Amino acid sequence: MKRVLEGSHAVAEAVRLAKVQVISAYPITPQTHIVEILSEYCTKGMMNAKFLRVESEHSCMAALIGAQSAGVRTFTATSGQGLALMHELLHWASGARLPIVMAEVNRALAPGWNIWVDQTDSLAQRDTGWIQIYCEDGQDVLDSTLQAFRLAESVNLPVMIVLDAFYLSHTYEPVDVPSQEEVDRFLPPFVPKFQLDTAHPCGFGPLVAPSDYMEMRYHIAMAMEEALGRFDEIDAAFAAQFNRRYGPVEAIDCEDADIIFITTGTVTSTCRIVLQDLRARGEKVGILKLKLFRPFPAAQIREKLKSAKKVAVVDRNFSFGASGIFAQEVRAALCNMPDHPPVFGYVAGIGGRDVTPELLEAIYWQTKNSDVPQKESVWMGLREVKNAD
Amino acid sequence: MNEAKNPNPLFMPRTYLSTESNKTGSWRFLRPRYDEKTSPCSATCPAGEDIARIEMLATQGLFKEAWETILRENPFPSVCGRVCFHPCEGRCNRQEFDTAVAIHSLERFLADTAIRYGIKPDLEKRSSQKQKIAVIGAGPAGLSAAWFLSMLGYACHVFEASAEAGGVLRWGIPLYRLPLNALRHDIQQIEARGVTIYPGKPVSPDALEKMKKDYDAVFIGCGHGRGMSMKVPGEDLKEVSEGLDFLRKLREGETPPCRGVSAIIGGGNTAIDVARSVVRLGGKALLLYRRRRQDMPALELEVEMALEEGVELQELVAPAAVTREGDQVVLTLQEMKIAGEEGGRGRVVPDEGKTRKVRIDWIFKAIGAQADEPRYQPPAGASGLLSLSHTVLVRGNQGAVMVFGGDLTNETKSVVHAVASGKQAAMALDTLFQEGIEAIVPKLEACRVGEGPSLSMEIYMGGERRLRNPHVVRYEEINTDYFRFIPRVTQPRLLKEERVQSFEEIDLKISAHLAMKESERCFNCGLCNQCDNCFIYCPDTSVIRDKDHQERHINYDYCKGCGLCVVECPRNAMSLGEEKS
Repeated sequence: MKRVLEGSHAVAEAVRLAKVQVISAYPITPQTHIVEILSEYCTKGMMNAKFLRVESEHSCMAALIGAQSAGVRTFTATSGQGLALMHELLHWASGARLPIVMAEVNRALAPGWNIWVDQTDSLAQRDTGWIQIYCEDGQDVLDSTLQAFRLAESVNLPVMIVLDAFYLSHTYEPVDVPSQEEVDRFLPPFVPKFQLDTAHPCGFGPLVAPSDYMEMRYHIAMAMEEALGRFDEIDAAFAAQFNRRYGPVEAIDCEDADIIFITTGTVTSTCRIVLQDLRARGEKVGILKLKLFRPFPAAQIREKLKSAKKVAVVDRNFSFGASGIFAQEVRAALCNMPDHPPVFGYVAGIGGRDVTPELLEAIYWQTKNSDVPQKESVWMGLREVKNAD
Repeated sequence: MNEAKNPNPLFMPRTYLSTESNKTGSWRFLRPRYDEKTSPCSATCPAGEDIARIEMLATQGLFKEAWETILRENPFPSVCGRVCFHPCEGRCNRQEFDTAVAIHSLERFLADTAIRYGIKPDLEKRSSQKQKIAVIGAGPAGLSAAWFLSMLGYACHVFEASAEAGGVLRWGIPLYRLPLNALRHDIQQIEARGVTIYPGKPVSPDALEKMKKDYDAVFIGCGHGRGMSMKVPGEDLKEVSEGLDFLRKLREGETPPCRGVSAIIGGGNTAIDVARSVVRLGGKALLLYRRRRQDMPALELEVEMALEEGVELQELVAPAAVTREGDQVVLTLQEMKIAGEEGGRGRVVPDEGKTRKVRIDWIFKAIGAQADEPRYQPPAGASGLLSLSHTVLVRGNQGAVMVFGGDLTNETKSVVHAVASGKQAAMALDTLFQEGIEAIVPKLEACRVGEGPSLSMEIYMGGERRLRNPHVVRYEEINTDYFRFIPRVTQPRLLKEERVQSFEEIDLKISAHLAMKESERCFNCGLCNQCDNCFIYCPDTSVIRDKDHQERHINYDYCKGCGLCVVECPRNAMSLGEEKS
């Protein structure tokens, strides 16, 4: 049924339909709407779930690690500083092979305090062993969240659904909300592969010697690798039932494109408009949207970019001392490919600043008019600062 | 579903080994232990009532057990639940959190409940002893002495001069504060324990001499029933009388004359009782006090209600002379002024040259009382005299031991101090009979509740309470994270318009529901109420509960001494000490 939903509520609807059993969260803007409505669902009995209030995000993840170890489906949501506070336990969740699902609303990190969109918070958790999925719109959010539970539980790794603050979390759009019966068919109840069981006592997470630790890590690496294939299978199963398919990457007009934008999140939607404009003027431009970031779909990216002359990566994030993080990843994916296109990195929209069609068009022309990238990243739309000390 | 076939093995950090062989207790340098302590209310209660435990039992709906816990230390819950000045509430740790627990109202509730359901207490009683004890005066001190002595197995005979037992409770407190049935229930309870009361039996000096031969000890608790002189001219006019006599006539069923305006001299509870009784009899009451309202020894609430009921208070005036003019009496008043402080009250001196006259009909004196006869006073400086905090023992060369108690020896003249005196006398006599005179002081010392003078009969009789640490729990030692702000129960009372109509009891009953809610507010300072926080928080599962979950102990083989249990104990019933290697 089509409903007009806020991005946050699209997440919440998916969580309700997924019949999550334990939710724990600590409120932080712009994540609050997600857990607010979920706590209401729990109170009103619309969900048969336990909502655990906690004193911090660190405790929240600890609580979910406990609950998930006991063999139930769990969920949380956070943003920015909250995610940063969880960091230690993000490693724990993946190391313990717990399929926890989290919605992470991208928020800039402080100081200065900023509640608006910036991807640096989630990208800073790149190496924690969590699967990361970036969403473009409300429908994408709902569908990805439903798929996330199935993906997480199939490979025993936690999944982070990432959405832009406000541009997505607080924007109302028509979203097709499937019925409970349909979701039940797509997502059966969670059957844990292991769980706390007093009948078969064992200890989780004990000391592991060098003789075993490396193999355990390798198994996580293998599970991540497997997740790439699983993602496609689940995506296909979802498409068969709901007639919507996303893919780990989405290539738009890339076949004949000379210059290909690489985008993530809501910037992709803006870029689609720019693409139409430029195409109408005869420019051979395409977009490659990255949806799956971990595991990184390097092979698909190489495939889609193989005939491009130039690549322009739009990063709403930054790794100080290096460059935009998606640009780094794309360069790394391409560098062993002979005759790969040069990668132009652009940093835009940091801390919630608007990424307008004009700005994206400026990126296009700058890329077209440069033979080779002058810098690792070009900061777009910087204003002159007069009052610096 | 294809993905259900997982080709990847789950090689995970998991162990099936037991860590039992790793006795982590050897790492410990701090040692937690269960260590029940003393609540400030109980240490402050002159009768040493185990208030924290009483409230805990009330919270659990164990009203009989709560009532019995009072009776172990005080045979007068029905009386004290009404007229005690409840210093316990003034030391309640809860008042630093929101407001003190309504201990006074809860005591009254438990007594009411016992009366209502005709509950009979099941209390420990020692086997019969050979000594016999006579008690002179069936007031709160004498009856308490008899109560505790009979608990210790002694036969007690109480001789009372008046027609009915109760002393000041029966004859000196108006009915609106202490109804007859409330008093009689406590006295019947005492009699039911085997105490024999002989009313209408004043003890003459000769009779006392005989008594000294017939009994092993004589407790004298005749109280202070005789008024003091104002030492002003005209004091002997017939319109001038004793406040205590006025109250006594009232309680004997008479209606003492008080039409017109009655001047009541004094600022204690007797003065207030007289003034309020005068109002109830249709007279006008003028309360004259030589200091200020805030200096009055009367309970603040009593003063407040008296003023509401129409009693007029004039402060800083002292009677100087009484004369008759026609049908009326003229009282000359010397105005007083404050000249510094003494004992927390204003010190007053005459404001020279400032006098005024008031025209009145009656004067009632309520400026203090003394023993009826000097022989009731302990002989100062006599040989064989042992002065304790609430009693004086006198041993002659032959005959019974004499014990003076109650108002005769108490610095503070209150019902609960009289109870304390009777209890101390009972302990002292028992120790004297069992172990000799030298043992009395150390024995009493060991029965103290906390570090003050209050004594516990339960401790004396070797009950569980003797295991408590005398340390009095401070507010900072309560983990208030586990308590919510809850408003204190409001004691329901008659409206002032209803009050002045009759001698109907002013304070009304509270329901069991309200009482349980109120008792739940109690921190139970220092006591374990089996909340199991220690069990829940122990990271080493080293807190072990027994099968019925009533008792718990620490498995020191594995306890690392982290102290979490002690910190998370809401009520300071655990302690952390250094491990002695």
